[in-house]
Amino acid sequence: MNVIEIKDLVKIYTNSAAQVTAVDHIDLTIEDGEFTAIVGPSGSGKTTLLNLIGGLDKANQGSILVENSDITRMSAKELIEYRLHNIGFVFQSYNLIPVLTAYENVSFIMELQRAPKPAIERRTKEILTEVGLGDRMNSRPNQLSGGQQQRVAVARAMASKPKFIIADEPTANLDSKSTEKLLEMMETLNQREQVTFLFSTHDQRVMNKAHRIIVLEDGKIVSDTKTKP
Amino acid sequence: MIWSIAWKNVWRNHKRSIIVIAAVLLGTAAGVFTSGLMVGWVDQRISSLVHIEVGHIKLHNPNYLNNEEIGYTLPDSRAVVHYLSSIPAIKGFSPRIKVTSMASTSRGNTALTLQGINVGQEKQVSELYKKLLPGGSFLETTGENPIVISDKTAEQLRIKNYTLTKVALDSLLNLSVPPAVIDRLREFDQVRFNTEKAFTKAVSQRLTSKQVNKYGADIVNVAKHYRLRSKIIVTFTDASGEMVSQSFRVCGIFKTSDLLFDQANAFVRKNELAQLTGLSPDDCQEIGILLHNESDVKATQAAIKHAFPALSVMNWLEISPDAGMLTQYMVFYYYIIMGFILFALAFGIINTMLMAIMERTKELGMLMAIGMSRKRIFYMIMLETIFLTLIGAVLGMAFGWLAITITGHTGLDFSVVGEGFEAMGWSAVVYPSITPDFFFGVTLMVIATGILSSILPARKALSLDPVDAIKTDN
Repeated sequence: MNVIEIKDLVKIYTNSAAQVTAVDHIDLTIEDGEFTAIVGPSGSGKTTLLNLIGGLDKANQGSILVENSDITRMSAKELIEYRLHNIGFVFQSYNLIPVLTAYENVSFIMELQRAPKPAIERRTKEILTEVGLGDRMNSRPNQLSGGQQQRVAVARAMASKPKFIIADEPTANLDSKSTEKLLEMMETLNQREQVTFLFSTHDQRVMNKAHRIIVLEDGKIVSDTKTKP
Repeated sequence: MIWSIAWKNVWRNHKRSIIVIAAVLLGTAAGVFTSGLMVGWVDQRISSLVHIEVGHIKLHNPNYLNNEEIGYTLPDSRAVVHYLSSIPAIKGFSPRIKVTSMASTSRGNTALTLQGINVGQEKQVSELYKKLLPGGSFLETTGENPIVISDKTAEQLRIKNYTLTKVALDSLLNLSVPPAVIDRLREFDQVRFNTEKAFTKAVSQRLTSKQVNKYGADIVNVAKHYRLRSKIIVTFTDASGEMVSQSFRVCGIFKTSDLLFDQANAFVRKNELAQLTGLSPDDCQEIGILLHNESDVKATQAAIKHAFPALSVMNWLEISPDAGMLTQYMVFYYYIIMGFILFALAFGIINTMLMAIMERTKELGMLMAIGMSRKRIFYMIMLETIFLTLIGAVLGMAFGWLAITITGHTGLDFSVVGEGFEAMGWSAVVYPSITPDFFFGVTLMVIATGILSSILPARKALSLDPVDAIKTDN
């Protein structure tokens, strides 16, 4: 089943000097449960494509159907709701709220969704245990290593059981050991919770783990390879 | 959760938050204390006005208000007195004969309104007898023609002087004034100064300013000397238009907080003044009335007016419209003072919150990205601002209240500039006070300040583009 269906997507950035086509007539389909890497050199349009899929940016042309709803036609208010209930975000620099504990950072998104308290408590404990931080629930971000913080960020993204997770260079700030651990964890979650992962990366180790690799150049897909069934 | 995040955000940068809280604390404490000072002042002024000078209601012959002539007495005063005796709301009333006069001694003279009173009745209406300086009596002597004058009148008539007698100097020892200071004052032994100003000037030249500040008030008090039983000649016009001169003996000296009242009034027995002016014992130009409850003023005034339509029946607010204005509008002045203080503080709060927002650009971008609505972001920033403001304000109100409670017992002495205050009818010693509803009003103002101060930082936050915000370093 298709989770995301992109048709003829175009994004052009305009400044006083020139026009830059960051995404150039892309057609793409992401299926349920995929573990897909978007790769390419800097400026190839990876982050722009993820931002468009994540409803953070507006396309100039084309459509993005998420379970048959075209998010390019949604209002700003509808996009906020769309992001809250459908997408989990993992950022390059973790972006946890420093004044909250790991537990609070994860449960926060479910509180935004107005989930019932017992469900929030159960799911937060469950997902933090799953990412190996069951014993660090009350730690604040500054008390955790970079790898642990990124695992909290993944737990936060997973907590609300989104349709898919968008991760922009999730391992860029991590050492090799932490990267390895995070990738294993993400792959396990992808398989166990059947959640679709879509991430941009430069990291060969991440590409090696991906089940599908989409290569972008100058805003166009130059290759789309399934590496694992 | 938003409340919890907002609260925790306040403490992200301890130093900065504490500085803002301290500024709000000081501003609020100063505002509350200043308001308490003004409330105390106004309360004392109103209390003095009602319980010493005016009473709750005054009755006059309407013509007397236009022209204070001795002939404009209350029509049918016996019936009025009988009627007033039957009204339960009235605590006491006092008929008065009022005569404009000139008082003189061999050393000075001054204009006075001579008030003829029945001591027993006057005591029910006015607490002036409580303002008598030690040693005097409120016309309760056996001799003929006693008179009670004010401290200021005594000074004008030069029957008050400042003399450092041997007894006075010795008494300073009991007041813990060091012998070295007393020795320096011995050169003034038996030297008489006619005014306080001349006396303090002479003393200041012999002592250091520190000694004057510390012992000055005690030295002035022991040196002050009234010549009770002094003879005063009072000249006035009687009911037939003839000039009358009569000598009176000073039996008491009073001092209220209103210099204008003090220097304008002197009191004699009503029956003696009636005889001197040729009026009948029942005649009077004025009846002062004090009620049990102030809330009964309007009803009682209306009842008297209904019973005696020919009389002028005025309540204290009508007699002293300045006091009426004070009671009606002063509450607005307190809030205006607080408003100005909070308005000034708001700039500091806005600046702090803007800095906090700029430092959290990346985090706010993330919150927008993960689906936190604009409404919730606004709410979170507004709560942070209110918390920041409210912490300082609550502490400030507590400090202000504490200062008011302490000074409300000890009093604040503005004697240095006291004559200026007293010349306007205000007490030189103030006992600040405040009512709980003022704190309620200030709390609402603080919350409103927090909300208004949060608008600019919140707008700044809401104007962020999540894509750009996430890319920043902050």
